[in-house]
Amino acid sequence: MQFAARYQDGLVADVRSAECVLDLAADPVALVILDAASREVLDRWDASAAYLLHSRMAELRIGNSNKPAGARLGVTGIVQMRNALGLLPLLHAQGRRDAWAQLRILVLATMALAAVIVAYLYGIPLLADRLVAYVPPAWEIKIGDTAAAQIERQMTDGKGFVVCDPDRNSVANVAIAGFVSRVFDGLDSPFHPTVTVVRSAIPNAFALPGGRTYYLSSLIEASRTPDEFAGVLAHELGHVYYRHGMQSLIASSSTGLLVGFVLGDMTGLSVAGAVGSRLIDNRFSRADEALADRFAANTAQRLGFSPKGLSDLLERVAEDDEFSRALALFSNHPLTDQRRAALDALDTAGPDAKPAFTDAEWQAIRNMCPLPSPPPLPPLAGSP
Amino acid sequence: MTETSEAARVGRVEFTGSRHELFLILIRGYALMLPTLGLYRFWQATWKRRFYWQNTVIDGEPLEYTGTATQLLAGFFFALAFFVPIYIALFVLAMQESQFIVLGYLGVGLIIWFLMGYAIYRARDFRLSRTLWRGIRFDQRGSAWAFALRRFIWSILFVLTAGLIYPWMASSLWKYRWRNTWFGDRKIEIAGNWRSFAGPYFAVYVLNILTIGGTALWMTSARDYHAADGSLLPGPISTLAWIGCIVVLALSYCWYRTRSASSMLSTVSLGEAKLSVRIRTGPLFWQYVAYVVCLAVLLVLLLMTFGAVLGSVYALAVASGKAPGAAALLSLFQSSTLNIVLLIVAYLIVLGAFGMLAELILSFGWWRLLARSSTIANPDSVNSVRSAPEDRSLIGQGLADALNVGAY
Repeated sequence: MQFAARYQDGLVADVRSAECVLDLAADPVALVILDAASREVLDRWDASAAYLLHSRMAELRIGNSNKPAGARLGVTGIVQMRNALGLLPLLHAQGRRDAWAQLRILVLATMALAAVIVAYLYGIPLLADRLVAYVPPAWEIKIGDTAAAQIERQMTDGKGFVVCDPDRNSVANVAIAGFVSRVFDGLDSPFHPTVTVVRSAIPNAFALPGGRTYYLSSLIEASRTPDEFAGVLAHELGHVYYRHGMQSLIASSSTGLLVGFVLGDMTGLSVAGAVGSRLIDNRFSRADEALADRFAANTAQRLGFSPKGLSDLLERVAEDDEFSRALALFSNHPLTDQRRAALDALDTAGPDAKPAFTDAEWQAIRNMCPLPSPPPLPPLAGSP
Repeated sequence: MTETSEAARVGRVEFTGSRHELFLILIRGYALMLPTLGLYRFWQATWKRRFYWQNTVIDGEPLEYTGTATQLLAGFFFALAFFVPIYIALFVLAMQESQFIVLGYLGVGLIIWFLMGYAIYRARDFRLSRTLWRGIRFDQRGSAWAFALRRFIWSILFVLTAGLIYPWMASSLWKYRWRNTWFGDRKIEIAGNWRSFAGPYFAVYVLNILTIGGTALWMTSARDYHAADGSLLPGPISTLAWIGCIVVLALSYCWYRTRSASSMLSTVSLGEAKLSVRIRTGPLFWQYVAYVVCLAVLLVLLLMTFGAVLGSVYALAVASGKAPGAAALLSLFQSSTLNIVLLIVAYLIVLGAFGMLAELILSFGWWRLLARSSTIANPDSVNSVRSAPEDRSLIGQGLADALNVGAY
């Protein structure tokens, strides 16, 4: 039995028509390659070192591991292919071994990547916690300023926040500032948070890295007691104290790196990468929320007001219509039963608890954002 | 291969692959992408290249792609080392003041643009040094950094001259690539120069400025538009004219691409063997038309599927006791886990489908068109080429994988 092939020795770019026969007497068994016309021996291959390469349909390409890397036998046509496979039954074995090796690499690499992802999901919150200690507070305050400008532009379509009661020496602002300094008194924090009350239809409050804290007017309207207002404010101040904003910034940046790795786009410019990292990062804030809740409850105990206000207000906002809920602070970390239970467990108001603000102060805070006056009438034409 | 006809013989280039075959490779690739967390893309690229290479039959002998997925994987890890510092720089930048951020992003963008030149060259080197024909390996020499620098400087000049310098830029970069390309121990030469690009390029440049500028001018002078929501909507005749402009743009682009590639590639020679390429414009244009039509059909299909899925989920929610209405529909998307899953699935489907369509129609179409338009004069002169010593180790495509450079 023999088969016809196109032979290339891998040294010169010449293609020879050849006939291949087995020399069973040789040790090891040799595949003898003869010139198709002159029958002169072109080459002798160790038959057991021959292997199959990927090739197009209706063609076999055979290489040999003992020969130059480019040495090939090309076999076309069904009959010749069948003859070649009959003569060299080991051809397929090599191919199968190679496929298994590829599969093993793929499975190993996938497992390694999965391990990296899992390590990341559990490791980054811990790592960010550590890393944040190395960020100088002055730097964090600067970042907070940049973030404030960006958020202001985003939330108001570039019009800028309408600050209720811009007078820093008003009764309400002095009361709030006094509350903040009492909360941070003795905590040894490098930050001096400033609270700005801003007019907005969204019931929300948020703290930025470095201490800039915003309280939106709708949330004040929703608060029934001073303790509710104080509870949420203490919660936000907890975020400032623990530097959660900075932590999540570090975490989200490394998420971008991970998403880029999985999607293969290290430039990180792809939209999907950005959105993906945003979504995954929601995960980190749950633990942060619990920590800030505990901070608020401890503060309430220390300052002697009732810690129940925080959960009361959260619950009331959550009961509102679903549309505003989707926009509110609590949308990505809703008041779960778990969180509610944790808050209730912390609720250990003493019998002599008194409100966080005096009646006069609370009235002033309630009146910080009066209903907007109607827009001025356009001047009459011709009037001076 | 008889001795008598050697002098006059012309070798043909054929392409024997079918879209069906490529489709199966692509489908299998996308199916395996998810369970392997995206790592299968290196195997996918390898299978695609094997398909294109082994079906390109030059003068009776197919090309062979000898690269492996593991090499690409290793190259990707190697490239990560380049990107981590850039990434950290971006992170630090994001924390600076706004005017710094803009300047910094500009700087990082320029660095990436420069690195892309390096990546393009390295990727071509990787592919060529893993391409066998007649048992002999191709190779690319020259310096990837030198190429990146050339490309970077030329692209700055390109912007400064409003694109007028393009023919010189293209010919310079083509020549650098081709004159560093080797087949075994024989160097490939390219004789073409900027004239190959200038004619078609300037013709297309002027034609499109005339059509687009003319339409805009006519629209404003004839007041064939109406304002809506602060933006201008063209009137009926102008709309037709704008559609005409797009068709002219597409047609002239196809003409430019086939003309410049034909005339440039036809000056490529390997010793006595000369490449001759004559690509026709029509087939390329119809490929683009087919692509746009398929894209539209695909979009409609995807939207219909999305609507059907949303409808059935909504129906299920209502059936299980939720109050019907927009709120019920919205409340389905309250859970962030569901949102992430939906986003990932949608991303994979949309990107996968569009990518597949582009590969099946445009990439496949261009490769086959190019192969079938080529002939080689005096192919037997190549017989005396000897193999060059093994290339220095090239770790994968390096940056190319991380930068998403390089089709095929």
